[in-house]
Amino acid sequence: MEERPCAVLLKFPGTNCDEETARALETVGFVTEVIPISALKPESLVGVSLVVLSGGFSYGDYVMAGRLAKLVTEQKIGDTLKEFRDNGGYLLGICNGFQILTQLDLLPAGSLVENTSARFQCQWVTLKNRAPESPFLSHLPDTFEFPIAHAEGRLVTQEESEAKGYLESGAAALTYTEDVNGSFEQIAGLQDESGRVFGLMPHPERFLHRQDHYDPDWSHPSDGDSAEGEENRGSGYYLFRSLFESVTSASS
Amino acid sequence: MRELFEISDRYIEPGDANGLLYEPLENGMTYRATTRYEVEFEGEKEALEAFIEKTLLDPISQELHEGDDPALTDFTFVLEYGMKPGALDLEKEAIMTYYRGIEEPGFELKSLTIRQRLYLFGGSADESDRFIRDICNAAIHNWNVISAG
Repeated sequence: MEERPCAVLLKFPGTNCDEETARALETVGFVTEVIPISALKPESLVGVSLVVLSGGFSYGDYVMAGRLAKLVTEQKIGDTLKEFRDNGGYLLGICNGFQILTQLDLLPAGSLVENTSARFQCQWVTLKNRAPESPFLSHLPDTFEFPIAHAEGRLVTQEESEAKGYLESGAAALTYTEDVNGSFEQIAGLQDESGRVFGLMPHPERFLHRQDHYDPDWSHPSDGDSAEGEENRGSGYYLFRSLFESVTSASS
Repeated sequence: MRELFEISDRYIEPGDANGLLYEPLENGMTYRATTRYEVEFEGEKEALEAFIEKTLLDPISQELHEGDDPALTDFTFVLEYGMKPGALDLEKEAIMTYYRGIEEPGFELKSLTIRQRLYLFGGSADESDRFIRDICNAAIHNWNVISAG
């Protein structure tokens, strides 16, 4: 029997997208375990291929989004996540998970601060796939839509030129096609140099099915040649599918 | 010993103060928000400062100000508010829980008081009562207004 890769989903107090994210991971083929941060040990990641930090408001976004989650994670497991990455592991951060990954220095330097609107924004956005070779984006088209839901999603860097550099280096794997929240260079998602760590503000797990889209006539560009059982999938499914295939091909 | 730290954002532009109120002002005002931490401690001041920088400051997007002087200037007034003594301050509790988990912090954190500061620019200091009424909750908050020098 084929062995399925294992994913661990870290849950902090205030994480609230873990169930739908776990469902997305299971849908594409991962065996998924949700581990509360209080139970996390370095040994928890033995035999695991993917660690996911999902959306929510960890620790009530106190101090700043992702800050206390970073501190508690480091207190619990030290540099285990960095070692996990260095040993070939994959890390995905969605929304609050992206904020936590930036705080943990697992992604290129940047911070996610309050939107220029000073409001919580819940809307659909169009994204440009700038890294079609990325293990996370390989099955996604050049442009596609995902929903966003955040108050602190504006990516800033110490100097604005750094963000420009991320576009040139390919670290800015995902950008908004218009100015949504004031992010430097309209960056919506970042990847690290290895390509195995990826964070994004939009929520792919909220667009697993075609009917999740606001347009009832929406269809994926590759629907004409969808595999059996994939006819009803939304764009979010293809992010998780890309990841699953990358993880399985890397481990085979 | 007592130390004061105030953290402000580098990238947040002043916002429209009408967004803080139920009814708009006649004369427009803008605002910026900061957070002020008052710490009672014993031990090494350097260790406390290292803790503050690691725990409360984001070096990319924020700036740290130490001491009594307000972090921002040219304001009309400042509304400072926080949780009343005895009211549950979840942010303080989260920070204290993290502090208690640190092995050998190098100082003893005796107490921590968190205050939100709203710096109001333009308009008139006479408007402060409206901000108190619409922002502060007398059941859980106490507050004070700092007038421009």
